[in-house]
Amino acid sequence: MTASKSGDRSYKRSWKNLLINKRYQLRFTLFMVGLTSLLMAGLGIWVMWVANETTEVSMASVRGEACPKAPVIGDGAPAGADEDAPSRPSMKSDEPADGKPGRSPVPAPVPAPGSAAAPGSAAAPDAEPRHTNVQLDESSMTLTPTLPPDLTDRFVAHWTCELRQVGTFDRLERGRMRILWAMIATGVLLVLGLAIYGIKMTHRVAGPLFKVSLYLSKMREGRFDKVYNLRKGDQLVEFYDHFKLAHGGVVTMQQADIDRIEAVIAAAEAAGAGEHAAVAELRELLARKEKSIE
Amino acid sequence: MSDPTAATGLPSPAPRPKRKLSNYMLDKNLQLRYVLLVSLLSAVIAGALGYMIYDQRRTASESIERDLKVLTQADASHQEFQEQVASGLESDDQMLVFKMVVVGFGLVIILSAYLVIMTHKVAGPLFKVSMYFEQMASGRLGKVTPLRRGDMLQDFFGDFKEMHESLRARSVADVELMERALAALRASHNEADYRGEMRGKLDEALEALDRHVAQRKKQLA
Repeated sequence: MTASKSGDRSYKRSWKNLLINKRYQLRFTLFMVGLTSLLMAGLGIWVMWVANETTEVSMASVRGEACPKAPVIGDGAPAGADEDAPSRPSMKSDEPADGKPGRSPVPAPVPAPGSAAAPGSAAAPDAEPRHTNVQLDESSMTLTPTLPPDLTDRFVAHWTCELRQVGTFDRLERGRMRILWAMIATGVLLVLGLAIYGIKMTHRVAGPLFKVSLYLSKMREGRFDKVYNLRKGDQLVEFYDHFKLAHGGVVTMQQADIDRIEAVIAAAEAAGAGEHAAVAELRELLARKEKSIE
Repeated sequence: MSDPTAATGLPSPAPRPKRKLSNYMLDKNLQLRYVLLVSLLSAVIAGALGYMIYDQRRTASESIERDLKVLTQADASHQEFQEQVASGLESDDQMLVFKMVVVGFGLVIILSAYLVIMTHKVAGPLFKVSMYFEQMASGRLGKVTPLRRGDMLQDFFGDFKEMHESLRARSVADVELMERALAALRASHNEADYRGEMRGKLDEALEALDRHVAQRKKQLA
């Protein structure tokens, strides 16, 4: 402890002096901190267990919402995997409409410009032809416009849904991690805050005890100096008042002794017994007692 | 501080006083401050984390209920099953709240009781020292009995005891010195030829010192 000003007996609190009575202060502070840590850890594990469960349930729920299937184009798609998959555009050499193989293709005569369509392959003159036969040398190719018109929309719908699900999973995972970190941060802050607060709180008890201890050691040596007040915010005020009363009582006792001894010495000196050995002893005692209450 | 003698049994030195349930709150201000702080803090932590547990659990239950509703909405025969599951989940959640409240209250009660006992081990020695201080204030310097087993502040009490014993020893020595001086002056009074009217004053002073010494001896008994 350091005096704030010379002659001023009030002492300022300093962080260096916070741990005055280590045994008492650490015992109470560690109990508080230990208990809080246990509570935070125990309940925190429970919270995380439930949070994990909730995240899994929520993820399962999201997985359960089926996304529209993506349309499959080209080879490699599993057969029958998608009923909605558009039929592949056929590019077959002069296949008949019924698709029966084995038939020898009969090259159709190329119609002259302006003439009617070839028999068998031509539609009604007023109708749009369903198939277009292109004669390439000695073979023909059939182009079928089979891509559905909403193909793009279906792709967009599928991938939007997929991405939304992935985003939801990410959000749920982030939420779970947020809970974990929030609890770790709260726990650490709480423990640190409590440790500081606990030491400061117990210091307000240990401080007055320390001060009384200093006076006690002075009293043990026979010095009964003036007792000063506690600092603002200190606890044990009532206890300190008792100590001040006790100190005052001892000082009063010394003063009463001094008065009695002084009276005897004065009376002995007046009676002509001032040189008596007993009076000399009383003078020594008087001097010691007077010095003790200076 | 309440009734002092009940807790410490001062000033009789033996037998050593035992702890009594009614005397556990010796210094309400000191003890309640610590007990309330720790209990409130524990209640807040338990409450906040308990709420988080309930909230997470409720979210999971609601998610299951919602999914089940979607799955069973097409079939009316599953309506009853869905309601049964929902009701089961809700009662589980309520049971969880109930369990947490019971555990929380139990924790706070046990903790408070433990802290009262723990702080009593600090308040007890302070109370006992306060009692000796009161005796010292009236000039009595009787013997100091040790603290009870398990009491804290043993170092502080040791300092106090040393001071008290030193003060008592010095007082006893002073009384003996005064007594010796009194006897010597009385003896010389009879032998010496002291001055006439002053002799009466010395007699008065010695008489007063005699009474003073007698009172001191009584206080030191």
